[in-house]
Order: sequence, then C-alpha cells, then structure tokens
Amino acid sequence: MGNIFSHDLLTRYEEILFIVAVISYLVCSGIFIWYLISRNEKAAQLGTILLTMGLVAHTVALALRWGTSGHAPMSNTYESLSLFGWGIVLFFLIAQRFYPIRAAGALVVPTAFLITSVAGVFYQGPDIPLAPALQSIWLWIHVTIAMLSYGLFALAFGAGFLYIIQENLLKKNYKGVVTAFTLLFAALGLVLGLWIGSMLAEPVTVQDPITRTVGNDYSFSDYFRIFGGGFIGLVVLLGLGYFAGRGASKRSFSNILPSLDVLDEVSYRGVAFGFPLLTIGIVTGAIWADQAWGRWWGWDPKETWSFITWLFYGGYLHTRLTMGWRGKHSAILAVVGLIVVLITYLGVNFFFSGLHSYATG
Amino acid sequence: MSADKSAEKIETKNTETASAGKASNGNSSSDTLFYLILVVTLLLTDVVLSFYYYRNQSGFDMRWILAALDISTILSVMGLAGKRVGHFLTSMKLAMTMLFVIAILSIIGTWLPQGEAVLESGWVKNPLYDVYRTLGLFNVYQSRWFLAILYLLAFNLSFCIFKRLPTTYRHTLKPRVDVKEKFIVNQPLASVVDGAGEKGMGIARQSLSGMRYRIRPGQTGSVMAEKGRYSGIASIAFHLSFLLIGIGAMLGAVFGFDETVEIREGQTVDVRGTNLKATNYDFQIKYTDVMEEGRSTGSMPTKYSTDLEVFSDGQSLERKVITVNGPLRISTYNPVLTFLASLKVNFHQASYYQSDRGIVSVLQVNQGPGKSLIYLGFFLMMGGICFSLYFPHRRIWLKVSDSDQLLVGGRTNRAKVTFQRDFERLTSELRVKMGQEDKAHG
Ligand code: HEM
Repeated sequence: MGNIFSHDLLTRYEEILFIVAVISYLVCSGIFIWYLISRNEKAAQLGTILLTMGLVAHTVALALRWGTSGHAPMSNTYESLSLFGWGIVLFFLIAQRFYPIRAAGALVVPTAFLITSVAGVFYQGPDIPLAPALQSIWLWIHVTIAMLSYGLFALAFGAGFLYIIQENLLKKNYKGVVTAFTLLFAALGLVLGLWIGSMLAEPVTVQDPITRTVGNDYSFSDYFRIFGGGFIGLVVLLGLGYFAGRGASKRSFSNILPSLDVLDEVSYRGVAFGFPLLTIGIVTGAIWADQAWGRWWGWDPKETWSFITWLFYGGYLHTRLTMGWRGKHSAILAVVGLIVVLITYLGVNFFFSGLHSYATG
Repeated sequence: MSADKSAEKIETKNTETASAGKASNGNSSSDTLFYLILVVTLLLTDVVLSFYYYRNQSGFDMRWILAALDISTILSVMGLAGKRVGHFLTSMKLAMTMLFVIAILSIIGTWLPQGEAVLESGWVKNPLYDVYRTLGLFNVYQSRWFLAILYLLAFNLSFCIFKRLPTTYRHTLKPRVDVKEKFIVNQPLASVVDGAGEKGMGIARQSLSGMRYRIRPGQTGSVMAEKGRYSGIASIAFHLSFLLIGIGAMLGAVFGFDETVEIREGQTVDVRGTNLKATNYDFQIKYTDVMEEGRSTGSMPTKYSTDLEVFSDGQSLERKVITVNGPLRISTYNPVLTFLASLKVNFHQASYYQSDRGIVSVLQVNQGPGKSLIYLGFFLMMGGICFSLYFPHRRIWLKVSDSDQLLVGGRTNRAKVTFQRDFERLTSELRVKMGQEDKAHG
C-alpha cells in the first residue's frame, strides 16, 4: 500500500501515540510525586512540559481515532475512558496556569495515568461498527461533554481531598491525615477492583422472552471474579493508602501543599465549571433518547444515576451559595461527589442493565 | 464572605415577611375559615376522584391530578393547624430537603426492579412483596407519593422564584450607581488610595474597561463597573426550566401515549389508542463487518429500516422509510384534545426480531403533547446554567472623596478568589501608576 495515511497505518500511529501519552503520564506521576517530596521547582516545570507533550500526543491519538472510526471517540470502554483521562489532564494543566496548585499534580496525574492505562487494557480497534441507535450527533455531544464534566469533577475532588489533608496537617491532626488517605485509597481500590473484576467476568447474555430486553446472567464464578477483584483492590490500596498517609504526616508536607483558600477555590471552580457541562450532557442525552425512541426520559438506571449526580452537585452549589458552606464541608462533598460519579459511570453498567448498558460495552 | 451575607439576608427576609404577615402564633378567624373551606373541598375532591380512579382503572392516568390534590390538601391542613404555609414554601431548607429526598428515592428505584421487570425477579416470592408493591416501591417514579413530592418541589420552586423576582429585577435593570462613600468602604473588598483623586479615577476606569467591565458613571460622582449582569436572570431561567419540563412531562403522561407496535413484512396493524393503521411494506437490514487487526471476525447489523405507510380511516397519510434515529412524524387530529388541534404522532424504529413467520419490525409509536414545553425547558436549562455560572455578577464602585482619596469597593456573588484577583490587579495598577502605597482594607 505504501500510503502513510492508510487506515491501518493511522490505526498504528494512534496506538503508538496513545502509549506515548500513557507513558508520559506515568513518568509525570513520578515527577510530580518527586516534586511534592523535594519541592524542586525545576521538577514541577519539567513535569508540566512533559505532561503537556503527553496531552498533545493523547489529543492527536483521539483525533486519529475519530478519523479512522468515523465517529466521535466514545463508543466503547477504551474510547470513553481515554477521553475521561484526557479531560482530567487538560483541566489540570489549565487550572495550574491560573492557580498555584502544581502540588496537586501528585494526586491528579497518577489518577489520569490509572484511568488511561485501564483504557489501554480494554483497547479495541476502530473497526467495530456502531449499533444503529448510537449513530446520532446528539449522542456524541452527550458523551463527550459528560466526560469533560467528569474530568472537572475529578479536579474538584483532587483539590477537595488536598484541602482535607492540608487542614488536618495545619491542625497537626496526623491521625486524620492517615485516615483520610486510607479511606480514599480503600474506596478507590474497591471501586476499581469491582469494575475490573466485572470486566473479567463472562456473563451469558440472555434475552427476555416477553420484553425482549437483553440482560446479563452471572454465574457463581463471575461473582467470584467480581467480588474477588473488589476485595483485592480494597486490601491492596488500603495498605498503600495507610503508608501514603504515614508518609504525608509531616509538617513540611503542609508547606508544599497549596493554601486552604486556593484549594477551596479550585475545588469550587471545578464543580462550578463542571455542573453546566453535566447539565448539557444530561439534556443532550435526553434529546438523543427522544430522537431515537420518542421517550426523552425513562428512569433507566444510568439516567437515574446521572440525575442523582446532578442533584448532588446542584446541592453542593446550593450549600455554598445559600447556606454559606465553605472549606471542609464543601471539600467533603466534592470528594463524595466523585464517588457518585464513579457509581454512575462504572457501577451502573455492572449492576444494572438498561438501554445504556450496551453503549459503553 | 459575600455569599455568607446573602445567605443571612435570605434567612432574615424570610422571618421579616412572615412576622409582618400575621401574628406569629395562630391564625385570624377569617384565615381559619378560608383554610377550613379549602381543606374540605380538596379532601372531598381527592377522595371522590381516588375512589373513581381505583374502581375503574381506565387508561386515563389520573395519578398526576391525584398527587396534586394530595399535596394541596396536606398544605392546607398545615395552614389550618396554624403553620405558616407561605413561609414553609419559600424556605431554602425545604428545597435542600426535597433534593435530598428525591435523590434517595431515585436510588431506591434503581435498586429494586421497576415495572414489569419485577415479575421475573425473585421479589415475587418475597413475603413482603405485596407490602412493597402497595407502597409503590416497584414503580417508584410513577407512584402517587413520588409525584406528590415532585409537586411540593415545584411549589417550593415557584414560590422561591416569585420571591426573588424583585431583587433580581433591581440588580439587573436598576443597578445602584449612585452610592455613598460609606457604602463603598463597607464592601467585602475595599481599598482606599490616598491622593489619587480624579487622575486615579481615570486610571481605574481604564484598567476596569481593560478587564471588560462595563462602566456606568453616576450623577453624584460615583462610578459603578460591572460584569455578568444577567447572571441573576439566567439563574431564574434555569430554575424556571424545571417547572416547564415538569408541566411538559405531566401533559405527556396524562394526554400522551406510548405503544410498542409489531409488524411483519406485508402486514397492516392497528395502532392502539389512535384511529391509525400502519403497513410495513419492506424491512431491510444492513450488516457491517467487524474487523479486528485487519481481519473480519463477524458482522453486526448497523442499519435497519422499515418502509412504512400510515393510514387514517382508509386514507393514506404518509409513507416513509424509517430508521433508528430517523422517525416518521405525522400530524393528526385527536378528538380528545380539540383545543391542541394538530399533534404529532411519531413512529420510531426501535428494534426487530426473527419469528417463525418472518422478521418482525418493532416500532415505538408515541405522542407527547408536552414536547414543545419540554424542549423550551431544555434550552432554558442549558443556557441559564451556563450564563449563571460562567458569568457571575461582579460589581465594583469607585468614588473620589473630599480629601482626594480614591475609594474602591466591590462584591461578587460567587468565585471570590477569582474576583479578588481582578480587584488586586486594579489596585496594584493604581498603586504603580500613582507611584504610591495604598491602605488596604478588608
Ligand atoms: C425547590 C427547589 C429549588 C429552589 C427553591 C432553589 C433556589 C435557588 C436559589 C435561591 C438560588 C440562588 C440564585 C442566585 O443567587 O442566583 C439557587 C441557585 C442555584 N440552584 Fe437552585 N433551587 C432549587 C432547586 C435546584 C435544583 C433541583 C438544582 C439542580 C440540581 C439547582 C441548582 C442550582 C444551581 C446550580 C444554582 C447556582 C449556584 C451558584 O450560582 O453557585 N437548584 N437556587
């Protein structure tokens, strides 16, 4: 063929660029953690530059995927997770230009690395055709914008978590620091473990004879994989969280972290920017469903959970504006919010089946 | 800080209007009479309609009307018992509680199987099955009490919007340009630049227009600069959109219909709930290869369509090849809703299945009389929330005092630190250009 723009070569370029991006996120995770420990400004600068380059590679990879598959990158686990990770890195790079929060990179960049590498595990070529219902412009607006809002909520979560750490450090409450780290890591480990376990499970697809809806039939060994995965994730990350908390329980650590005011503002702005995107994401999803089936809202589990997420962040904004909540309370809400997001994004596909369950494969 | 203050303001306003309205303990006798008549009327209507509804389970979905009667009855009973219903309905606490309650109920709805799915689940054998079913837990989102809670939220929202209208109107269209010196110095962010005088005022105005503030000179020498003036209106539009969508959903549930229609190739069927007939002339499926690493590993249906013709009283209305995401929309005349005249009936290609007598095309046929309201709500919701959060209202006042000081003060309703940066940029520019120190306040 010889054509450097042939379909197969473009697919290869995409793969390579994606791997480059994931590796750069890994390296940057190391650099930002090193920055947190050493407070070497050069390290932070280097990390930011490398991260920007990784983001560029990632962007090109996504664009290539769009070109080769002929639709926006959102139709399977690989594509939507890749987009999620991309959003996190993008918003972190933007936020660190306006606020002194490079230290938060030590939390945010590893998260992006984790998400993109999980995306890599579920890599799928671009030539899987789209189911007919998914061939709609509203759908890709819907998924892309929802993923971007999740990226912002992840940023709000990172800043909120550091707020809790910083406050405990300033009060010299080291027990609180260890507890916060342990709880966070354990929760993330549980969610990730359950999710990866459910991906390894091989349920039999069954179709209901009357309603003809398709559902999954899980066998005992599937449950074993799912809950086993959850348990392993929980234990491993719990231990990791404990040691991370011990490591962070130093007075000098507090000097490295951004100030409480900055963390509060970044967390708030993450939600304040993400909420309208989430709103648009949900509304365009409703418009899509109306075009496809003539029903714009059907309370299927995915819809319901995105509604709950929306109520939750609406509640967050209300408590700030009308009840004057600030600081710790808001930070806790921002942290819990990401758990709600993860349930909506990952949990629903596993626990429930509905119209959406085939959308993310 | 500014938001703390506004929160206080909302609370104190509440108590003021409440105590100004009537004596805080008990009703006057005319109020009691009013509430008594209201309670009796509502209760009677509610009971009679419920009885009628549960006796003949007709197709007409009256739960929406019953739920409205329920909640109105409860509110008027509260009024009769001497509670301040208006106060209750305008409280933010109620709003937050409602958001929380709805979130929890929604979670229950995703946990328990809903609708027909429950019949195939293990729940049927559960000893508490009948109790749960009677409580509506297997049909949470259509249950009477869920709807009643939505109504309470809607009342709450309407009262709050109504109460906020005057303030928003003033902020948007009647801004306070002419202010006293004390007002400026008391702003959450305030600064005094000594000896800056009119020269400083010129610099400040230039600096603020550079930051895209809109400058409004007043009559008494004070100047106001603002940004994001429509934030408040946008917020009202956003909240109003819930009401529009709710009303649209109610119209759809009460007057609309949604039917699954199955037609084999060559078959003509009646569409239930209408006087329409539909014919399937031809059903087509297009398959696409699934490629992995350059090889085809199977194929998948990527397009299917039905060549459909719709008739009313033997007369053809329209013929179209419908696809998924490409429905046929037909304007019909529905005798029940003469006042809404032409309403579209939509034929959606939903799915298909293989039967022993050929491929059966599955259509979703529906009519949503509230759709235009719902779409209006959608756009108000998206536009409203973007304007209200991305362009927060920021105001800065400037005035030269008698002793040639330049007074600067400002406030915002959200994103305090970001506003602070605007403010600091302004004062530092002033300081640099005036070549002197200023005394920072606040
Ligand atoms: C009964 C229900 C509700 C009432 C009475 C209510 C009332 C209010 C009020 C008074 C404000 C302040 C407006 C301003 O200063 O511009 C506000 C803001 C807001 N509300 Fe609501 N609201 C209700 C329901 C909701 C719901 C269901 C959501 C979405 C989940 C929501 C999301 C918001 C948002 C995002 C803001 C803006 C917050 C900010 O600017 O930081 N509200 N609401």
